This record gives sequence, C-alpha cells and structure tokens, in this order.
Amino acid sequence: MSLIDVARLAKRYGAITALGGIDAAIDGKIIGLLGPNGAGKSTLLKALLGIIPFEGGAKVLGLDAATQGTEIRDRVGYMPEQEAYLSGMSAVELCTYAGELSGLPRTEAMQRAHAALYYAGLEEKRYQPIETYSTGMKQRVKLAQALVHDPELLFLDEPTNGLDPRSRDEMLELITELPERRNCSIVLSTHLLPDVERVCDHAVIMHKGTVRFVGTIDELRGARGPDTEIFVEVKADAKKLAEVMTEAGATCTVKSPVLVAIDLPETATNQLVFARAREVGLQVRGLGVRRESVEAAFLRIIGEAS
Amino acid sequence: MSEPHADAGSATGTVHDLGYKRYAGARSSAGTRWRVILRNQIATGWKTWWRFKASLGIAVLVTFIAGGVMFILRDKMIRDFGGNFAATMADAALPKSIEWYTRAAFLVSLTIGARVVAGDMQSGAFTFYFARSVRPRDYVLGKLAGMCALMALIFVAGPLVLSLARLGLSDDMPQLADTLHLVPKALAIGVLGTVAFAAVPLAFSSMFGNVRHAMALWAAYYLVFGLMVSLLGRASHSWIGALDLATALEAVANKVFDLQLFRGRAGWVPWDAALASLLAHTGAAIAILAVQVRRAYGAGVGGAS
Repeated sequence: MSLIDVARLAKRYGAITALGGIDAAIDGKIIGLLGPNGAGKSTLLKALLGIIPFEGGAKVLGLDAATQGTEIRDRVGYMPEQEAYLSGMSAVELCTYAGELSGLPRTEAMQRAHAALYYAGLEEKRYQPIETYSTGMKQRVKLAQALVHDPELLFLDEPTNGLDPRSRDEMLELITELPERRNCSIVLSTHLLPDVERVCDHAVIMHKGTVRFVGTIDELRGARGPDTEIFVEVKADAKKLAEVMTEAGATCTVKSPVLVAIDLPETATNQLVFARAREVGLQVRGLGVRRESVEAAFLRIIGEAS
Repeated sequence: MSEPHADAGSATGTVHDLGYKRYAGARSSAGTRWRVILRNQIATGWKTWWRFKASLGIAVLVTFIAGGVMFILRDKMIRDFGGNFAATMADAALPKSIEWYTRAAFLVSLTIGARVVAGDMQSGAFTFYFARSVRPRDYVLGKLAGMCALMALIFVAGPLVLSLARLGLSDDMPQLADTLHLVPKALAIGVLGTVAFAAVPLAFSSMFGNVRHAMALWAAYYLVFGLMVSLLGRASHSWIGALDLATALEAVANKVFDLQLFRGRAGWVPWDAALASLLAHTGAAIAILAVQVRRAYGAGVGGAS
C-alpha cells in the first residue's frame, strides 16, 4: 500500500478540467509536489483530504478519500500557505484547540501543543497573541498546528513563502528532521525548486491536470535530458577518445588532455564509452555523470508536456 | 512529554524536541467536533469584559431592578390610561423586563455574534477548521450552540429568575399554583429570544469577510431598519412592526404573559405575526449561515483556487 494511491482521479469545474483522470502511486518520506499555477495541485490536495467530490478513486493512508474524508483529516496534518489562525488566540491556545478539533482529549491536546510549539521553536513566545508574531513565527505556528494531532502524513503548502533566507533555512531544517523525529511522511507543495532539491527524496510533477512524473529525486535528475553530460577521464589522449566517440554519434568537448565531456546519443549507454576506449587502446580512469538540477528536469518535463 | 527546559535558549536555527510518542489513545468521533467549537465560542466570549461580561452585567442589573420592583411594589396596582386594564407590579415586571433583556442581547449580538463568522473568514480560520475533521454542519452547529449558550445566560436565565421570584412572592399555595405557569412561559420566551438573537447576527456575519462590515450591517438592520418598521407599524397600525426583532419578541411576550397595558410599540403588532417573524428570521438566518459556510468549505485548503 502506498501513502497515496490515485486511479483515474478526475475533477471538473464546469468546462474546466482541473484533474484529467490521473493515476499515481505516491510514496516517500518527503515528497515534492511540483507544478506551475493551474497544474491541479490545489485540487489534488482538496480531493485527497476529502473536501471536494471527484470522479475516480483516491486513497490516502489506505483510506478512501471519497467516503472517509474526516478519518483522513484526523490522520493528516495540513499547513496552509495563507494565514489561518483565530484572532485573539495565543499559539498554545490555537494548537490546543487544533488538537481537540482533531479528536484528541483536551489534556493530551494541550501537552502536544506545548511539544509541537517547542519543536517549531516557539517555546518562549507561545503565550503571545498570534497577531503580534512576525511572518517567520506565524509560519512556525502553522507548522505546529499541523503537527499537534500527531499526523502520519503532512501536507505543507509553500512552507517557506515570504521567509527571509535564515528563516527559510530554519524551516527547511525543521521539515527535514520531521520524518525521523515525528515518524511521518511529508508532501511538500512548493514553487521553490531549490527547496525540493534540498529536502525531498521523491517528487510528483503535475501539469495541466495530469501527473507528468512520479519517482525519486535521483530518478528525476537521472533521467537523461539535454543537460545530462558524462565526463570521462583517461590516462592520456582525450582527443583520441573524442574522435572515436564523435564517429559513434556523440557530441564531445575536450576539456583537457585527459578529460573529455561527452553528450551521448539518445539510445547509447555509458558502456559505449568503455567499448570505444578499449578499441583504440585508451585506459579509462574515471567516468562521472553531471546530472540535471531539479529545476532543469522540471522545466524539461513541463516543456515536453507543453 | 514534559515542559520545555528553562534554559532552552533562543529557537533560531535549532531543532528542539521534547521527546515524541505516537498517540495511541482514542480520538473522539467527528460528530462531537461541534462541542469543541461550542466550548471555544464560550471561552472566547468570556475572555474580555467588553465582549460578553458587560452585557451580562446589564442583564444581571435588569434582573435585580425588576426583581426589586416586583418585591417592593408587589401589591401596587397599575392601570392603563383608559382604566380598562390593570395588573400588579409583581405581574407586570417580568414581561416588561423582556425589553431590557433584548437590549443586553443586542449588545452581545454586536460584540460576538456579528463578529464570529466574519472574523473566521478574515483571519483564514476556515482553512484551519476544514483542513481537520470538521464538517460545515459541525461548524454551524458549534457556532450556533455557542452563541445560544451565551444568549441564554441573558434571555433565559434572567426571566427564569424573575419567574421564580414571582412564585416566591405568592401569598399561599393556591396563588403559587396559579402563577406556576410563568416558569415555562419565561423559558419559552427566553428560548425564542435566544435562538433569534443568536442566529440572525451569525447570518449577517457569514455574509461578509470583514468584521467591521458585518457589525455595521447588523447594527443598521437591527437599529435603523428595526426602528423604521416599528414606527411604520405604529403609524399604520399594521403587522409590519413585527419585522423588527425586538418589537416582535415583546409582542409575543405580551401575549404569553397576557400583559394588556403599557405594551408600547409592540401593542400594534399581532402576536401571531410577531411569532411568524421571529421564526422566519431564525429559519432564514440558519439557512443563510449553512449555505455561506458550505460555500466557503475548503476554499482555502490547497491554495486559493
């Protein structure tokens, strides 16, 4: 059973197709949910939380999103992008209330509220009204209220939005630690691809209501794209290797007498390099792949879809 | 889990942890969430003096004064100007006090009722609620029950105390038995006023995403529109005055307590029209509230789309 399973999941708003019958089995510890505006991320989150009706099937933590929305929301935490607090409340009151609204007994909710706020780094400020908090502190409260009821899965919507670089680093550090410390998985919906590159182990890329990629970050970056190059170090005569590889259809750039950058033909593998080098008596000392960045891979996948 | 250490230091740049255990206890069912919202509504109302305590103070004062009048002037007969109707002060004090409880209730409706839903919309609290196992009906029920609980302290408790005081002033058992009917009547009027003055401001609140706008429109509806229809009803001797919530409640109270004199603006309003107005106001308000909350359900979750 995957964390999230969707089968032919579709949602239409009148003539607009927000989700066009997507199929995906999503797993991982920290999963980046990526896509340009209008890709269908928000609609997917609403469907997964059982908030909107939809066609097809969707399961979260093994629960049916169409019929078990409230049970899912008891086991899932949601950190919204926009401000979402009750005016006049302190952080500890808000988090306690959040815990109770998720079905925890009051005493348990209060204990966990203190623990969640402490984890989020608000231990000294937790009795102050939230209206007086800075943007960074409000983000921490949003994270704490999403954690307070001990969710098995967290949806974080643009958690670093509006944060200065230092606060952003701190928030990403908290997120990175969460799966281990809180024994939960995270779906991170964001436009900030460097954040995904830094903290995520899996990614889902959506575009125009369809899922274009589901897999690990390594798979995303490892999938050969126009930016993928291999670097081959030989004992001597890199120029010779460049010549034979060019004859084999590769595009080569000699970087030094012992180093050559090779862009292989679409169908070729690294084995071609070893075979050609052996044929001309060259000794390969090293071979490395310069992978695409997540951003480049994202743009390539979105570009292909367009 | 324990409290944070005293030497915890600054939070910045540090991941803190008090130790973590997976929650293995039972969770209350989703059907009980409205009770949590109700409790929070009462707690929030009770928090600051101006939200509820000031109005409650007025209601307590009204009860003391009406009770005092009831006790001190209990045998004094009062008559209308034509001399057609008469009643003892002991009997008149309770129905006449409704008008004053209504004023206290309006203050609560303004400081809490008209603010509640609009405030939640303004602060993004709908996302906070509906990303959890809270359904629109839980929210509506919780907010409505919370408001009713606060209003009942004014509208039910006050008249109930006065009705019991009236019983206490009975000279003998037959008189006590004769006045026993005042208790359920006071309860009925209290419940009617409670529900109407809880639901209608909440409906106004749900129509605006801005607290000030919601308060202003509710105040305008209650005070300006209410005064206009009340005067119009008096001038035209018609039922139209029943559209004013306060007048309607007084008219029903006059009928229930059989008060024939000094009925004021409510004197021109037929009690059945007044009762219909109160029920229609309440029904329409609950429907508006439910529709508005349902419409907003999930709007903020997953972004603004």
